[in-house]
Amino acid sequence: MLPYALRRLLIAVPMLLGAMSIVFFAMRILPGDPCLAMMGDQATTEALADCARNLGLHRPLAIQYVDYLWRSVQLDFGHSLRQGYPVSAYIARMFPHTFVLVVASALVAALVGVPIGIVSALKRRNPLVDYPLRVFALLGLSMPVFWLGILLLIVFSLHLDVFPLIGGGDLDTVIAMLGSGEVFTYPGDFLAAVGDVLYHLALPALALGLTLAATVSRLARSAMLEVISQDFIRTARAKGQGERAVVYKHALRNMLVPLLTIIGIFVAIALTGTVLTETVFTRPGLGKMLVDAIGARDYPLAQGAITVFTMIIIVVNLVVDLLYAVVDPRITYR
Amino acid sequence: MAIARRADPADLVVLAPAEEAPRAGRRRLRRWLPIGIGLGLAALMVVVAAAAPLIAPLSPSVQFSDAVLKGPGAVDRHLLGTDEFGRDILSRIVWGARISLEVGLASVLFACVLGIPLGIYAGYRGAWAEVTIMRATDMLMAFPTLLLALIIVTALGGTLTNEILAIGVALTPNFVRLARSLTLTIREQDYVLAARALGAGQLRVMRRHVFPNALYALVVVATLYIATAIRTEASLSFLGLGIPPPTPSWGNILSEGRQYIKCCPWITTFSGVAIMVAVLAFNLVGDALRDLLDPRLRGE
Repeated sequence: MLPYALRRLLIAVPMLLGAMSIVFFAMRILPGDPCLAMMGDQATTEALADCARNLGLHRPLAIQYVDYLWRSVQLDFGHSLRQGYPVSAYIARMFPHTFVLVVASALVAALVGVPIGIVSALKRRNPLVDYPLRVFALLGLSMPVFWLGILLLIVFSLHLDVFPLIGGGDLDTVIAMLGSGEVFTYPGDFLAAVGDVLYHLALPALALGLTLAATVSRLARSAMLEVISQDFIRTARAKGQGERAVVYKHALRNMLVPLLTIIGIFVAIALTGTVLTETVFTRPGLGKMLVDAIGARDYPLAQGAITVFTMIIIVVNLVVDLLYAVVDPRITYR
Repeated sequence: MAIARRADPADLVVLAPAEEAPRAGRRRLRRWLPIGIGLGLAALMVVVAAAAPLIAPLSPSVQFSDAVLKGPGAVDRHLLGTDEFGRDILSRIVWGARISLEVGLASVLFACVLGIPLGIYAGYRGAWAEVTIMRATDMLMAFPTLLLALIIVTALGGTLTNEILAIGVALTPNFVRLARSLTLTIREQDYVLAARALGAGQLRVMRRHVFPNALYALVVVATLYIATAIRTEASLSFLGLGIPPPTPSWGNILSEGRQYIKCCPWITTFSGVAIMVAVLAFNLVGDALRDLLDPRLRGE
């Protein structure tokens, strides 16, 4: 277990550095001068030179690269070109919004996708059950999240007026009250803020969760199919155990390892999904921040957002791989 | 002591011919219906894209000032309504099929041409070649397809060629990985050993034995990635990072229609349906081909 964990960890470090390098060089070949974008066409040559000096762009590329890597591992991504505040401050402010969206959509995806996948696998010989569930999975896979989001907005926000069109709710208050301990002093206010967050979260989580549920249901279906074809399931049936006990006592427990894969894949898809979902619902978060930053040519902000996305995905995959080894001791690194 | 038992005819459940026929029919229908629907939809998309100038009732860029934001059927000549500039939605969707199909096919082809040789080389040669290629692949795989395509298209600018390049590069690691894993199995086969014993060089073995035997699995996966490429193109255009307006791509139409979802939901609805049907078509074909040709690929 320990050698496996160490080797897996050693692989993750160069992967992270490589991914960060891709981000750095991609941002450096962007068309247009960031200073010109920031200061406009009227800026004098001296002003542009000052700006380049302030941003450190006058230094050799290799120095900038090493500096970027060193700062990034300390989560220092420089300053936003537009507002001038540290990028890490923006990321820290936006991260909770994206985090709650990913968690809420994960819940929707798991609650919808896993049962559908299991039932679809167990009832695969019953076309009346298996067909509609497979069609749901295929439609979910084919439906872009931004389109589903717009459809939900049309129905629930514009026509039925039960959910808001834009915004992310009062998450800052929730976090501040949790941090200061005011949650115990003013529980009513806290619950009101939580309610507001959930009110704004419902549609985005549903849109992202339902599209992810399709992927989850397919993975759960194949995981279940794999488990129920194993010898120990045949043995359980052969010794006369009822179908319910076979499923709940034997099959479900052994789905754990294949289901772990879902978490890794899920985080990558969900983070990508947040870029689109937050844009559709005009909801604050890392994804919308990234799109806005690219639109405004705010390179440090875009670079910071992409680096954080990549870091999260690599770390989650690392944790999932380590969990594999914990759950199934037969797994070794080859 | 070994227990020998002869098969008793009573063990076998023999279906009466009358009972067997409908069951076989159902099985055949179950197998061929999805691929039939998928192929039908994909063929329809190809025909629409190829014959866009003939099929589209109007020019996709002509603005009708007397028919701004009209609903489906409100004006006779605009079957699916018009957008904020009075442009015909149906014509724009028909022309948009070209962009989607071009990006879908060309980016997957790009990923295949780049990824398959690298994957086969990594799998066949092993050692440092494998380590170098696979670590580079792992790095790229740290980025989800849309995020990597977004980075590249931002760096290069939103044109059709750049979008194909961006999505192609983003999909390449998937083909490298699959080609490598297939090669690892194929290179252990007896026919490869026989070819090598007959004096075939490494390049010849890779070209004449490994590649043809990996091809069918790669084709299946490529079909599925056409769906991913079409969805990614629509996503990039929706975010305003793809082909710039007024070129009628489905993502552009949807993105522009977003501002008018309250008064004119048909703009987003029809363009969204087009994206979904196109993605569904290639997903259906890919899924069905996979089940027909190689059920082992279900995990890919």
